[in-house]
Amino acid sequence: MTTIPTLETERLMLRAFCVADHKPFAEMSADAELMRFVGGQMDGPDAWRRMAAYTGMWSLRGYGPWALQHKATGAFVGYSGVTWPYGFPEPEINWGLHRSFIGQGYAAEAATAARTFAYDQLGFLTIMSFIDDENAPSIAVAKRLGARLDGGGSYKGRAMGIWRHISPETRPEKRKPHMT
Amino acid sequence: MTVIIPTLETERLILRAFRDEDHDAVADFYANDPGAAYVGGSTDRRGAWRVIATFVGHWQLRGFGPLAIEDKATQRWLGWCNLWRPPEFPEIEVGWTLAAPFRGKGYVHEAAVRVRAYAFDDMQLPTLVSYIVPGNVASKRVAERLGAKRDGAAQINGVTVDVWRHPHPRGAS
Repeated sequence: MTTIPTLETERLMLRAFCVADHKPFAEMSADAELMRFVGGQMDGPDAWRRMAAYTGMWSLRGYGPWALQHKATGAFVGYSGVTWPYGFPEPEINWGLHRSFIGQGYAAEAATAARTFAYDQLGFLTIMSFIDDENAPSIAVAKRLGARLDGGGSYKGRAMGIWRHISPETRPEKRKPHMT
Repeated sequence: MTVIIPTLETERLILRAFRDEDHDAVADFYANDPGAAYVGGSTDRRGAWRVIATFVGHWQLRGFGPLAIEDKATQRWLGWCNLWRPPEFPEIEVGWTLAAPFRGKGYVHEAAVRVRAYAFDDMQLPTLVSYIVPGNVASKRVAERLGAKRDGAAQINGVTVDVWRHPHPRGAS
């Protein structure tokens, strides 16, 4: 049995992916520029499989990415969450936005909620984001979150940076009590 | 959101949710088994892990999906039997894949009969098909033995496949 929790931020709902997300998620996945550093452009059927894999990760790992829903309009904004795809050196916080929502702070807003979830609900002592060295927009988000470069690695032949997020003790957001 | 993936049983088999521990067997299948050509093509360990995640996620998105086939006696992973409906499939499909060493023992038939009963009786599906590429003789034989009948062809991702329609237990099909 797998339960995918729902979280809320100021402007976003972080919730399980559903079938209706396929259309906007496929639009994102077909966007060559957005997809350049995260696996490349893909067609509708492949986008469906990626969406399913993101969802299935919750069963395999106990955590995974959420779909981001714009609270005010209900629109699909993108995805973010705690993930650990096979081949990554450790779990990461990931994010990706539909073109309509880039440049408005949504990635940082969602990733901050994912970081809180990783520390307070999953009990992680550390978390990173594994970002392609040429992915300047994502590196900017990581920096905005206070992450620092902490080594590197490679994935599918690409040079990747390990962007270490600020620790549970030093993060600015108020610490919530652990779930019991 | 909460999803419960059922466990089904037959005389010799357990049909259950895929899990992380299946990774070695699935990776071996996708690296070495000629049958991988019919289910997305051969891939590496990373790709095999993604297949498992996709299968499990299909249950969460649709409320049905693939089940791993496990040998009751040995607890070995033999393959899978799926209810499957990615966006490019016109209808819900029952499909099957068995690793080469376990073929020819009737396992697929046994699993598919059980999954089909789940689809018709538990899910109350009105109809069920199998999409089979014309060259896949082994799968075609399984469909025939299951009592499925040819019902035209479908275009899936630009490939023409035969549609095999399964008999409904209560007459309609």
